[in-house]
Amino acid sequence: MSVLSWCHWLQNTPWATGIRQSDLWFPFIEGSHILALSLSVGLIVMFDLRLLRLVLPTESASKIMRQVMPWALPGFGIMFVTGGLLFFSQAEKAYSSGFFRVKMLLLVLLGANALVYQLKFYPSMAEWESSEAVPRGVQVIAVVSLAFWMVVIACGRLMAYEL
Amino acid sequence: MSLQHLWQMSYDSHTIDILRNSKYAIPVIQSFHLFGITLLLGSMVILNLRLSGIGLRQLPMTALSRQIWPWAIGGLLLAIASGILVFVPDPARYAANYAFRTKMVALCVAVAFQFLIYRKVVRSGTAESRSSRNIAVACCSLVLWFLVGWAGRAIAFLG
Repeated sequence: MSVLSWCHWLQNTPWATGIRQSDLWFPFIEGSHILALSLSVGLIVMFDLRLLRLVLPTESASKIMRQVMPWALPGFGIMFVTGGLLFFSQAEKAYSSGFFRVKMLLLVLLGANALVYQLKFYPSMAEWESSEAVPRGVQVIAVVSLAFWMVVIACGRLMAYEL
Repeated sequence: MSLQHLWQMSYDSHTIDILRNSKYAIPVIQSFHLFGITLLLGSMVILNLRLSGIGLRQLPMTALSRQIWPWAIGGLLLAIASGILVFVPDPARYAANYAFRTKMVALCVAVAFQFLIYRKVVRSGTAESRSSRNIAVACCSLVLWFLVGWAGRAIAFLG
């Protein structure tokens, strides 16, 4: 079975059809997906800006990370659940959309970007977080994160416009 | 000149035709609207979690508000500028939409609350500690800003 025919089957399941045709659930899920940007991407953006020393440069970056992540992670949880449901309800069109494919690819790359940070730079944060000389790799990771999240948001908006 | 005339002038303007007729102009501008919203609401989440004492308690309120405020204002200005560009190609449609009207009222109230009451509380020096007043102010701020967001999303669903 091809991916497209799987998508066709998926969006015609009773639940998917129910969401797609609901005057209440569809706006609620889509609205939650957009407004949870504040908790998920909004908080990550602030942390990226801290890594670039553009905000709160005198506060410890690891402390900010510890304080912000417990709120950002549930935010990403809401994004994945609501995003999954939105895909579920319009799987065939979403899968055929170039914007959707770019968005998914960038999400994978953003995951890899965060993983590199966790493995390579997170363990040594104490050594560099209060110095003005932020490692070049950390700066690259923060800029990539900011840029890719902007493109992910734009792709999400553009694909919804086409669907 | 009435608002009706203004909407008609805006609708008839040839400069604005570019926005209306280009396939991707509006969703691209709306993407910038979302960048602004992400910055603004992200900042508001941080400031209000701290003000209410529910989260981010290890970060000092004064430093947070001083440092986060400019990003919140930047996000707000980006959202307003891009919002105007989405509005002008089709002003009559938006002006008649009840979700849009609700959004504009909520936006004015939220901005007034943020500048008049919120800033006063933060500058009073009593924002560091947890108090029922701080919790109430933080809740009002979050409810107002998310109301603006929800009303904005509802514009599309109310036609």
